[in-house]
Amino acid sequence: MRFKTQLKNIRTFSKLVAALSSLEKIAWLRLDDEHVRFTVIPDTGSQVWALLPMEFIFDNVQLQSAEAQNTINLELPLVPLQRALKSALNATSASLRLTKKDGIPILSMTIQTSTVAQGNQGGGQGSYSRFSRGDNGPGHFAGGFGEGDDDDGVYNIEPLETHLHREREKIITQDIPVRVLHPDNVEMIMQPKVREPDVHIQLPPLLQLKAISDRFTKLAAASSRASSSATATAAASNPKLELSANMHGSLPALPLEEHPSTFFREAGPDKWASVRVDGKDWSKVLSVGRLEGRVIACFADEHALILYVYVPQYDDVQGEDCVVTYYVSSYNV
Amino acid sequence: MVLLRFTLSEEGVNALRDALACLNKFSDEVSLEAKRDKLVFTALNSSKSAYAAFSFASNRFFSKYHYEGIAQNREKFFCKLYNRALLSLFRARSGDSLHDPEKGGSAIERCDVAIEDEAGKKSRFIVKIACRNGMTTKYRLPFEVSPPVHAKFDRNEAFNSWTISSRTLRQLMDHFGPGIEYLDIHSEDDSTVNFTCFTEKVASGDEVLKKPLHTSIAVEKDEFDTFDVSEDKLHIVVSVKDFRAITQHAAFLGSEVSAQYSMPSRPMQIRYDGDGVKCEFLLMTVGERGAPGQRAKKTRAGAKPAPRAQQLEAAASRAASNAPTPAPRPTPATRREPMPSLRPTAPRQSQRPPPATLDHESLFVPQDDDYQWEPVRMNEDEDEEEADARLEWDASDRPNPSAVKMSSVIANQTAQRSGPGPDNGMDQDQSLSYLEPTQRLSQARQFGLFND
Repeated sequence: MRFKTQLKNIRTFSKLVAALSSLEKIAWLRLDDEHVRFTVIPDTGSQVWALLPMEFIFDNVQLQSAEAQNTINLELPLVPLQRALKSALNATSASLRLTKKDGIPILSMTIQTSTVAQGNQGGGQGSYSRFSRGDNGPGHFAGGFGEGDDDDGVYNIEPLETHLHREREKIITQDIPVRVLHPDNVEMIMQPKVREPDVHIQLPPLLQLKAISDRFTKLAAASSRASSSATATAAASNPKLELSANMHGSLPALPLEEHPSTFFREAGPDKWASVRVDGKDWSKVLSVGRLEGRVIACFADEHALILYVYVPQYDDVQGEDCVVTYYVSSYNV
Repeated sequence: MVLLRFTLSEEGVNALRDALACLNKFSDEVSLEAKRDKLVFTALNSSKSAYAAFSFASNRFFSKYHYEGIAQNREKFFCKLYNRALLSLFRARSGDSLHDPEKGGSAIERCDVAIEDEAGKKSRFIVKIACRNGMTTKYRLPFEVSPPVHAKFDRNEAFNSWTISSRTLRQLMDHFGPGIEYLDIHSEDDSTVNFTCFTEKVASGDEVLKKPLHTSIAVEKDEFDTFDVSEDKLHIVVSVKDFRAITQHAAFLGSEVSAQYSMPSRPMQIRYDGDGVKCEFLLMTVGERGAPGQRAKKTRAGAKPAPRAQQLEAAASRAASNAPTPAPRPTPATRREPMPSLRPTAPRQSQRPPPATLDHESLFVPQDDDYQWEPVRMNEDEDEEEADARLEWDASDRPNPSAVKMSSVIANQTAQRSGPGPDNGMDQDQSLSYLEPTQRLSQARQFGLFND
């Protein structure tokens, strides 16, 4: 079993891991020749299936496995992975490889970074980058460039900017403990099957949705604490949010006659599909907003809510999008 | 009788607060020693494996400094204080957090301290804090006059040394994750120095995934301003927690950090200076004397735990027998406790209203305001949450009729439909709590929620 790759798109990768780890601390990572898949299934709450094209976060992948379809299945703690990616954010290069240390399998991330590069990253930006690093080192004048002619004969004294200090390289190794999973153990785990949705909409900016949702959740939590002092901790009594949507939004209708969404659309704007989600869990789900993807929400009335988060490959317009799928269940009244 | 009186400027208060916060990571109690020319704060941790000293020069650090002394001992005065109490006096006041637009409204402008000690009278450490908004607060803290404990470092023995910029050191330490115990510093070859963290906790089975991130950093020797270690591959191992406390404080001052040490199991001294303040730390290094090369390997393999760090006291007694030692510093022996964060907590996203519009197409590089995506927190142990929860006025035992519980609302609705409510009060509640499930898109558009 071999796995070795260069990392790219580290900021997006790190945001994805942050979004996943708000739901559960351990993920199932499945690698094959074309895709990387992260799956998070918490004991209670929403589950996430994130399917990424290999080239979304990896480059020059070497993957070799004895298992069917050349797959590798790993169990992976997300917090250390996130921490390691944080180290790699400003790296000149970073790579990841599956190896063993003291008999324990690890994903070893090797990060190359240089100290001086923090100051003058991207030398091509010329004078802009030279003057925009005000907090970097003493002696830089803070007032900015070209503030007008004040002929007072007083001049700021600046240090001579030379490149005598050559870039010093640091190599950081971050070892993340993993467990290699046997395919028999994981092939039972299937993506949930949900009936055809009644209503599908594109969600408004998640930051606003999250601010409103969190406010309601806190209000509900506060008032339920006020009214019933005891047994407020059970999951069933957590604040729930009711979300409703109808088929009169901005998405084009599906040209399917038998599809439930057609029925909801024909029933007029007063026909709502509603789900009730756990406020706390919903807040964790909305954490995916940090990826800045387009989000389509599919409502199965009184049953479930499925979110599809499409994160485009910014450096490759032709490239396949990364799709993060959230399965949020609806609570009964 | 007032035996010491000094005044601190705003910067002085900040510097003292940073120092006390650092000392607080070593011990609950802080020892103060006053002399004519300097004021020294020290702390020794409970296992006596780490010691910290901050020496403030009386003529440079303070706006005013007057040492009177007492009859019994004209030379110096010492006492021991509860650090958390002291620290809380200087803590940034509510309303002058970094993010407050009216920053500085209640910031500390000046601080006068007087120490009174007199037989038959209550001895007091008196702090008078003048805030920018014109308010003056006076605090009296009790203290204990107790003889200091000496910890010494023999510089003649410590033939290995290095110096490095505190900022670089801080950047290095930022790569280490939580949960690690030890930091191993050793030179790899002629050009690199290795910082490696490890823990002695052995994990197996499911616990394997709970192991902390294992980090190792290879740094070019050039990164150090000087690096003078006689023995190659000399593994020197210190506690990460202590080392981190030092590097964090050193980074505030932005000065150069120098370390001196000899062998594993012998103390390491770390020093740096600020404006009018000298900072010195002694950390006991872990390991067996005489087997420096193999020691770190042994611990990492987890075959048997390395012998616990020796105490600095042992070093002190040994050093005391040596004639040429630096001036002794007094220290108290105290317990250690986790310290509450000094920095103002990050503003919680949900405490502020949502922004009116979301500037997706902003020309500016987006700031890394990742905190706003953190899940909502409703834990009762959070102070601000508690404040939220305390919004209730109704002191009676009656359940709040307007509770926003989905089930109760629905139940009310069905009750209304099926017949008259149980009582009149209930009827009124229903009319209040019943809302149309939602609004039309056309009605909601004016709120700017949908951008098309």
